[in-house]
Amino acid sequence: MPLVILACRVLESLMEPYRREAGISALFMEYGLHRTPELMAAALQGAIDRLTEPSVVILGYGLCGNGVVGLQARQHTLIVPRADDCITLLLGSYERYMQEFSAEPGTYYLTKGWLACGSHPLSEYQQLLEKYDQATADWILDEQYRNYRRLVLIASSQAELVACRAQALEIAEFCAARWGFRFEERIGSTDLVKRLVTKAHELRESTDDFLLIPPGGEIKQEMFWRAPGERPAASSGPKHPNL
Amino acid sequence: MSDTLTQISHAVFEGRVKDMAGLTKEALAAGLTPQEILDRGLIQGMQMIGKEFKEGKKFLPEVLFAGRAMQASLNILRPLLAQTGAKMMGKVIIGTVKGDLHDIGKNLVAMMLEGAGFELIDLGKDVAPEQFVEAVRREKPDIVALSALLTTTMRSMGQTVERLKEAGLRDHVRIMIGGAPVTSDFACQIGADAYGSSAPHAVEIATQFVQAR
Repeated sequence: MPLVILACRVLESLMEPYRREAGISALFMEYGLHRTPELMAAALQGAIDRLTEPSVVILGYGLCGNGVVGLQARQHTLIVPRADDCITLLLGSYERYMQEFSAEPGTYYLTKGWLACGSHPLSEYQQLLEKYDQATADWILDEQYRNYRRLVLIASSQAELVACRAQALEIAEFCAARWGFRFEERIGSTDLVKRLVTKAHELRESTDDFLLIPPGGEIKQEMFWRAPGERPAASSGPKHPNL
Repeated sequence: MSDTLTQISHAVFEGRVKDMAGLTKEALAAGLTPQEILDRGLIQGMQMIGKEFKEGKKFLPEVLFAGRAMQASLNILRPLLAQTGAKMMGKVIIGTVKGDLHDIGKNLVAMMLEGAGFELIDLGKDVAPEQFVEAVRREKPDIVALSALLTTTMRSMGQTVERLKEAGLRDHVRIMIGGAPVTSDFACQIGADAYGSSAPHAVEIATQFVQAR
């Protein structure tokens, strides 16, 4: 069965070497679809539905604010990493993501992809200043970011870290002056992405790291929950909570 | 619907904070009650902006502007609601759950509930299950409202419900949950009483809770 990668552009440079080596065709979707999860699901479903031949579709996404929820496999098999978002993929494991998350929930992450598309507080501020007066721009930005405490640059290698550092430091300085963010750097791991591209299609069932959605199946939010403590407890509550 | 109410809902939708005081006074002078202005003007405007935000037609700044505009009107309406001696609708404890520092949505819900006549105890953000338990024991609210913006943190909503059960307080309150990643199914799974899909929806649910008492 043919393999097809359907992924966020933010992961393109990370997936590219493995994709090219394996000769898998790919469609990279625009940045930031997660901001409108319903539209994201519709865009991904459209891309899946345009595949004429039954395929194994490797999704380069996490749960992404429910942006993959409701995706129908149709005649295809879907593989999706069991991750909340791309930060898990960049750090290389869910465990490492949770470690970082527990250490400082108020973390804003910078990555090569997100820097490239200008998704960070400094560029947002510049865009706001083009549209609004300074007091308004200040207020909007503060409303969004004042609760964060740390900025972390994640790179997949030392070379990438060095290449991104100058831009990240400029943003770090801005955020430190404004909200007192501290700045840290992490070298992630390509392990999860490499396995996603090169190995996950061999799976016969879901694992801790990847979900396998067989033909006719649908991606559901609860498939992403892992440890027993994270899984919602059995309900003794009402059956129709949506009043 | 009266023209003034339509104008108010549009002013909220467009975030025209400067027009709100004038329009609100105009509506009152025309004999509309604070409740009517809230229900058919302000909430209507918030519903419009919320819908377009979800559809990707409006962005966060516009939602913030709408909230600010609503606040300007509520500043005038709230003392009037108090003057009329209207009984408080009920007491709500609200907070963003542990590990989550996002409070824009929670603050909007709190503002709207307060405007609708609820007494609000806002525990803020990154609120641990134990803090909710403690606050419920102390304040004896009618409703507990939990917010989360991240799929990573929405799981601690379930832990909060569990802690309330363990403390023997679960049956004393109605629990509603909301936030971008939260769903009706999830509310069901963790044993919450309701899921609010938007700030206006949260007000609707809270009102139904107290009316059903």
